[in-house]
Amino acid sequence: MSPEVGNIVVEERLEFAFAMEYHGPPITSELPRAVPINVDRIPVAAVVSQMPLPDKLSLPVVQPILANNLTKKFSKELKFLGSESNFLPINVSPTSVIAFESPNGAVIRDESLSKELASGSEITVSPSSVYAFEERRPGNDGCDLSGELSSSLDTHYPCGQYESGELSGMVDRSNGLGSSSISHDHSRELLNGVGSSGPLGFSGSFEKSRELSESSRKMMISRDYKGSLDYNNDLNKPDWASNESVISVDYPSSRVSSLKVADGCNEPGCDVKRAPVVTFCDIESEDEDSNDRFSRAGPEVVRAKKEPAVRVRKGACYRCLKGNRFTEKEVCTVCDAKFCSNCVLRAMGSMPEGRKCLSCIGFQIDESKRGNLGKCSRMLKRLLNDLEIRQIMKAEKLCEVNQLPPEYVCVNGRPLCYEELILLQSCPAPPKKLKPGNYWYDKVSGLWGKEGQKPSQIISPHLNVGGPIKPDASNGNTQLAGVQCAGNPHFWVNEDGSYQEEGQKNTKGYIWGKAGTKLVCAVLSLPVPSKSSCASGDQFSNIVSHTAPDYLEQRALQKFLLIGYSGSGTSTIFKQAKILYKDVPFSEDERENIKLLIQSNVYRYLGILLEGRERFEEENLNDLRVNQPSSEDELIGRTDGGEEQTIYSICRRLKAFSDWLLKVMVSGNLEAVFPASIREYAPLIEEMWSSSAIQGAYKRRSELEMLPSVAGYFLERMVDILRFDYEPTDVDILYAEGVTSSNGVACVDFLFPEPAYEENFNSSDQHDSLLRFQLIRVQSRGFGENCKWLEMFEDVRIVIFAVALSDYDQFAVDEKRSLVNKMMLSRKFFESIVSHPTFDQMDFLLLLNKYDLFEEKIERISLTKCEWFDDFHPVTSRNRANSSNSSVNHAPSLGQLGFHYIAVKFKRLFSSLTDRKLYVSLVNGLEPNSVDQSLMFAREIVKWDDERPNFSASEYSVYSTEASSFSH
Amino acid sequence: MSVAELKERHLAATQTVSALRDQLKQKRLLLLDTDVAGYSRSQGRTPVSFGPTDLVCCRTLQGHNGKVYSLDWTPEKNRIVSASQDGRLIVWNALTSQKTHAIKLPCAWVMTCAFSPTGQSVACGGLDSVCSIFNLNSPTDRDGNLPVSKMLSGHKGYVSSCQYVPDEDAHLITSSGDQTCGLWDITTGLRTSVFGGEFQSGHTADVLSVSINGSNSRMFVSGSCDSTARLWDTRVASRAVRTFHGHEGDVNAVKFFPDGNRFGTGSDDGTCRLFDIRTGHQLQVYYQQHGDNEVPPVTSIAFSISGRLLFAGYSNGDCYVWDTLLGQVVLNLGTLQNSHEGRISCLGLSADGSALCTGSWDSNLKIWAFGGHRKVI
Repeated sequence: MSPEVGNIVVEERLEFAFAMEYHGPPITSELPRAVPINVDRIPVAAVVSQMPLPDKLSLPVVQPILANNLTKKFSKELKFLGSESNFLPINVSPTSVIAFESPNGAVIRDESLSKELASGSEITVSPSSVYAFEERRPGNDGCDLSGELSSSLDTHYPCGQYESGELSGMVDRSNGLGSSSISHDHSRELLNGVGSSGPLGFSGSFEKSRELSESSRKMMISRDYKGSLDYNNDLNKPDWASNESVISVDYPSSRVSSLKVADGCNEPGCDVKRAPVVTFCDIESEDEDSNDRFSRAGPEVVRAKKEPAVRVRKGACYRCLKGNRFTEKEVCTVCDAKFCSNCVLRAMGSMPEGRKCLSCIGFQIDESKRGNLGKCSRMLKRLLNDLEIRQIMKAEKLCEVNQLPPEYVCVNGRPLCYEELILLQSCPAPPKKLKPGNYWYDKVSGLWGKEGQKPSQIISPHLNVGGPIKPDASNGNTQLAGVQCAGNPHFWVNEDGSYQEEGQKNTKGYIWGKAGTKLVCAVLSLPVPSKSSCASGDQFSNIVSHTAPDYLEQRALQKFLLIGYSGSGTSTIFKQAKILYKDVPFSEDERENIKLLIQSNVYRYLGILLEGRERFEEENLNDLRVNQPSSEDELIGRTDGGEEQTIYSICRRLKAFSDWLLKVMVSGNLEAVFPASIREYAPLIEEMWSSSAIQGAYKRRSELEMLPSVAGYFLERMVDILRFDYEPTDVDILYAEGVTSSNGVACVDFLFPEPAYEENFNSSDQHDSLLRFQLIRVQSRGFGENCKWLEMFEDVRIVIFAVALSDYDQFAVDEKRSLVNKMMLSRKFFESIVSHPTFDQMDFLLLLNKYDLFEEKIERISLTKCEWFDDFHPVTSRNRANSSNSSVNHAPSLGQLGFHYIAVKFKRLFSSLTDRKLYVSLVNGLEPNSVDQSLMFAREIVKWDDERPNFSASEYSVYSTEASSFSH
Repeated sequence: MSVAELKERHLAATQTVSALRDQLKQKRLLLLDTDVAGYSRSQGRTPVSFGPTDLVCCRTLQGHNGKVYSLDWTPEKNRIVSASQDGRLIVWNALTSQKTHAIKLPCAWVMTCAFSPTGQSVACGGLDSVCSIFNLNSPTDRDGNLPVSKMLSGHKGYVSSCQYVPDEDAHLITSSGDQTCGLWDITTGLRTSVFGGEFQSGHTADVLSVSINGSNSRMFVSGSCDSTARLWDTRVASRAVRTFHGHEGDVNAVKFFPDGNRFGTGSDDGTCRLFDIRTGHQLQVYYQQHGDNEVPPVTSIAFSISGRLLFAGYSNGDCYVWDTLLGQVVLNLGTLQNSHEGRISCLGLSADGSALCTGSWDSNLKIWAFGGHRKVI
């Protein structure tokens, strides 16, 4: 309802301006003409406030400016300026056209027109720069006029400018829109008041004073109303103040009658070479309703437009100032500067964003040149070799700043945001040749078209872009096989072409199934669905996995660095994240490698087990000998091979295999041998595993230090795993050692799946879900103590440091070859990471991993085994027996106490090092949920970080895990 | 022999070694009656003087989105390869400043890159612990990416530096965070020799840089986080020919002097040093006192073609030009017009010595050339 704010860039260009070709009805009366302005009394407009306009508007009225006075003053100024311009060399500023595409395709025409004008090089020094607006309203639009108005507003700014320099001014578009719409709103009242049948013309003049030359610019909007006679009223209009936020849009009704400076020219066909004269054609339909609503601003947004730093003679090279207009030149896509072949490489340098002069790098390209992106000129081809051309054109097309600004695309009446544009462009069937403008899009059927026009294409349905479709989006005239597409409220068309009555479940028919439909479509030039868009609907539900264009990759990627001392389970967490968030966590090749890895691991475990068996056998035999020295002869006699039997003994065949395996393992080329041996030994393995000797050894596996804790998992499945056709499951991969550690660094890009429940699904979350995350896992082993490489990760948002809780009683060899508690090593590594200058002010999330092992272990081994935790004295030890049975009284278990204690220890350490807060989370790498939660937690932390200014610090404490029972 | 006894003997041996090292140091100091700068001054040499236009930035290579970590020139043509944290290698034409190749890397954390002697392929390495070779002539795949033509895997730590053995495309020397250097045969993709490592007398910390002797490609020198530089003979992998002590911080950069008898080092202790490989002596220390107490580490060094100038990039964005004879700073590229806005991370001189290329964390590369009457120095 309220006129909203949109913005316009007003360009000031030197020397000349030109008019649009007039397309309206023949003009019988005089054309409007720019009115001289009193510089001291510049009319200035302010921004339209957002308040809705009441029916009865009482707008403040500005006192009219006396026309006589004005003309006099202005003519004086005109003289002055004219004389000044005589001294100036005639410089031609390139034409700049900001074309907001209208549904009528008027832009193309006008653009060509203006180009024609520019090349026509009719240099007219005009005292005032003038703006041409062309408003065109298509015929039978119904209720929501405002959208049409704003969208169909073609704005052309040929601008003139007196002095070279930075004289680019900006006019708030909203002023233009607001005032024009308001005036329109009031036209009726005014008309009634005036009593004539629709003379409505107003011209607003806008002025900016300059230090050097007080060039005045003039904006004039004249409207033809109802095709009636033109009453060209040149008015000194509402004050256009670009700085003020409060509106004072005054439509001085009194002035309409009082002021009449109709000294325009009366040529029926508007003379294009008449630079100072501007025509504003606003052709409104005859059958227009009186419900003029101006509720929305258009998609126009301020973009500071670059101008060439130097102005030169027309046709000359901007750098060497030589050449004429026939010399071949390359044009900067931003500022229109032209360079000859000698200068282009110097002026444009390495062209990281395509053809832009060095000073323009990083600026938005001129929209009118979008079509030329990636199209190389002959000159460049001559200057550079093929490879270089290819790189430049690729950069020009794909670099981020050259992309279509999302605000310029308006879908269903709402300008897109960045993420929506990505979504639109990366969908399986994207709209072809997306240009700035207003579009409608039917989410259900996937139909896509320009606002007010027929659907032009069928794109992927169910994309979450733009606002809800408006009933009159396609003007309601699209009929397909008797079913109205968009606009008829009674039918719904689904993406597969089936249609059903509103509110009904049953499908009434299937559009594309009818043989004639496609033919009809061809006749009516309506789109038919492409093959890809016909594919099943669920492929669109995971747009997530669809690859975005190259230039989008860097943006909005939040990096998490996952790091931890070796054995802290970072690899498991990483694998878990991969399984959680990727549709295809591991490719076929990867799976094959993992399969081999797991199998070789199992052989290794088996070797360790066999080694253990030999030891146990020997021990047993020794025991036997000690216990029954006398019966030794009998024993030998019984086992005819001269071997003694214990429960750990195995038969000769298995013994041979066992010896072979151990030999291979000692020689160290297990990996080289085993794939071939799998088939051969599969039956043996089965026999071996079922033998009592191996089972016996397996029962005593806790005595085998070499055997990792995960070995049990694999050994129990050994028979299956060592089959030739074994396929590793996700759980197998999670448990497997060495899957990710082959490389020093591994990363996975992912998106958090959208929350399943709708309650906390608000619009801000919607955008968040488009944020992409990257989990980078770095292996600490082989990365040295001094962490030179950490500098590379200064762009991560959060460091996730993993510590294995169960490490507290384990020992490892440090770089000085001495045995150190692994928890202490973890702590040392933590300290070096936290205090690294690269991670100054970085958020840290501590993941305390392997809680399941810890919980079990802490019951057996005291936490004080680690010297750092020697003051752990849990107070609840007496009730522990009860609490383990009945969780009703909420007495924390020893495991929980230990976890809180360690968390506090790390927090204290962290705050002593950095004076900041450490976030701690409990995780069990083998449980998908806990990994998911902790990564969500990391995301939340990053989000808080972004919103930190809005929150007080106290809110953070809610999430911190405090264990006050251990404070001392 | 018990463990305790072993430990005792180890301790004793370590002490002996350090005592001997001290003796050596003393002896060297006795023998070293003067340094290069002192001698030059006594000979009446004057430092090279630079006019305002003698060394000017004549090209800026823009196109990377991330910090530039490494660059290398081709020996014959004026092409440069640069590696950046945006995960790309870019091959530039240094004359026109255009890109000829932009290679997307499988691992974005790249630390080093090198041009092959024939200019047919480039190598890069980084945190993925793999040295990847790209053949520039191979056709691109569907997405327009250049495929990896060879993966040299075997290092257990990041690949910090790599350099092709001059005059042959088939061999490459890498240094790695696993405390070793490696000599690779690219055609087979296998590591011919490993220099250093757990059981050998090599570096005791991450190796950060290598430089191959230009006049005798069997010799190369490596710089490491153990604050030493070591000279190696590719035929003798088991032990270093010589170990050069002197630095008090990580040796970030090593570069052979053009004559092949000396080499320069740059270190975290803020100094550059010049060592003689024949005598093992430290010839000169290049150190400029900064205003405040901070000592910016040297990130990268390069010699001019005559060896008279030493270009050294510092982490604070300075790039000093040292007169190697007199040990004086004759120019600071960081204060010139159009200089970098970030840390200068890598430096390289073109093969003919006519231009210097600097790469910086501000994601740009700049080419500096000698202006005026001076073409090469």
